[in-house]
Amino acid sequence: MKKVALVIATAILSVGMLMGQAKKPTLMVVPSDNWCKQNGFMLKFDNQGTVEELPDYKKALQGSSDLILVIAKISQLMADRGFPCKLLEQELKKLSQESAEDAMLTSKSGSGVAESPIDKLYKSAKADIILQITWSVNVTGPKKSVTFVLQGIDAYTGKQIASASGTGAPSFSAELPVLLEEAVLAHIDNFNNQLQNHFDDMFANGREIIVRIKKFDSWPDDFETEFDGKELGQIIEEWFQNNTVKGRFNTTDATANFMLFEQVRIPLYDANGKAMDARSFLRGLQNYLKNPPYNLTSKLMIKGLGQATLVIGEK
Amino acid sequence: MKKTGLYFALSAVLFFMSASPILSQARAKKKAMRDMEAFRYEIECVGTGVEGTYLIKVWTYSKKPKVAIEQSKKNAVHGVIFKGFAGGGRGCTSQKPLASSPEVEDEHSEFFDKFFADGGDYMKYVSLSNDGSIDSEDRLKVGKEYKIGVVVSVMKDQLRKDLEKAGIIKALDAGF
Repeated sequence: MKKVALVIATAILSVGMLMGQAKKPTLMVVPSDNWCKQNGFMLKFDNQGTVEELPDYKKALQGSSDLILVIAKISQLMADRGFPCKLLEQELKKLSQESAEDAMLTSKSGSGVAESPIDKLYKSAKADIILQITWSVNVTGPKKSVTFVLQGIDAYTGKQIASASGTGAPSFSAELPVLLEEAVLAHIDNFNNQLQNHFDDMFANGREIIVRIKKFDSWPDDFETEFDGKELGQIIEEWFQNNTVKGRFNTTDATANFMLFEQVRIPLYDANGKAMDARSFLRGLQNYLKNPPYNLTSKLMIKGLGQATLVIGEK
Repeated sequence: MKKTGLYFALSAVLFFMSASPILSQARAKKKAMRDMEAFRYEIECVGTGVEGTYLIKVWTYSKKPKVAIEQSKKNAVHGVIFKGFAGGGRGCTSQKPLASSPEVEDEHSEFFDKFFADGGDYMKYVSLSNDGSIDSEDRLKVGKEYKIGVVVSVMKDQLRKDLEKAGIIKALDAGF
């Protein structure tokens, strides 16, 4: 009898542990393009005749001690709330080190590390939630104050999920780093309250992701090809209807060659209680299309927790 | 017999005279607690506190200024948990309460009865600024009672962590 109770208790405990944790989003503090432009940390490059400007994070991190201070303060306060941030500086260093290592790495037979153009493109400092910071110093006579903006942006949907902003008290004597630290302390709680609302919504209505379905040129069919009297596009939409939380998704674009689904709400756990992300969600569709009567091969690619692309036709 | 009666009456009067301030203080304390539960106090931001704290001024109503000063500490912690406060000048930012709704107080009434009892755990999170001295403009007579403004510092980060640990409020990383 005791043994049975022990087995039941262990089973309940392990299911509970499995169900216990959803995939935790990663956070990274990044200066806004506006701040980089105002402070001269931009990178100019010629894009086929058009001069374009991009924020130069490396230059910004090397040139502004205030930026380091703000990033360190926000990261410290977020770590206190259970969300240690990825550090932009370390991510950039990691990337350059990794690419140097990849360039040097060879097997005994002399072959290098395989890397497709898309792999190269995806290699950038990234996080699931970007904490974007902007500040400006207001000077009125001898008085100084700081206007501070902190925005939380979902890296995949591009939506602002939290923000806090305001202007601090003008001061005659306080130095800029002190004013900046005060600004962070004054705004972080409101920011975290909104972040909490975002997480509450996620737990209630599922994680919001973006899904793209494309086709390879080599595949002779398209999304208008019919299976048992139904177009493939319609079949895919029905699969989304059945597998999203409360059937929530938007078909933003649908052509013969391309489908874009936005505001797709996926459950945080699959049928076995395992944490789910965009990749595991779309793998369900990949397997569904692999089976008869469709028998379609496809390639699955992801971008973090919240963006996935399925390209039908081949691997 | 008459003498005994006189003694008895006299000692009763003396007893009531000596007990009366204690009783009235106790009544004032009880009323202050009722006021707190009914959110009858006001909080305003005084400035950005040091890391992990809120620096606020709490306006408390009571017939006894001493009771009001003591009650201010409870009101400050109560306000930070259930009421929040508005921003305004001095670079102050509005802050939302730690609890997601005022109903949390009823849902965990047993916990909060103990927490806000005299000498309860609320004391760990609050300290009077200026040793509790009250500016003359912060001591107002409103009708029959006083409205006393006391500047206090509330250790909100520690308070939040302990409430999260006790399961009263949800942690930001809960579920991950």
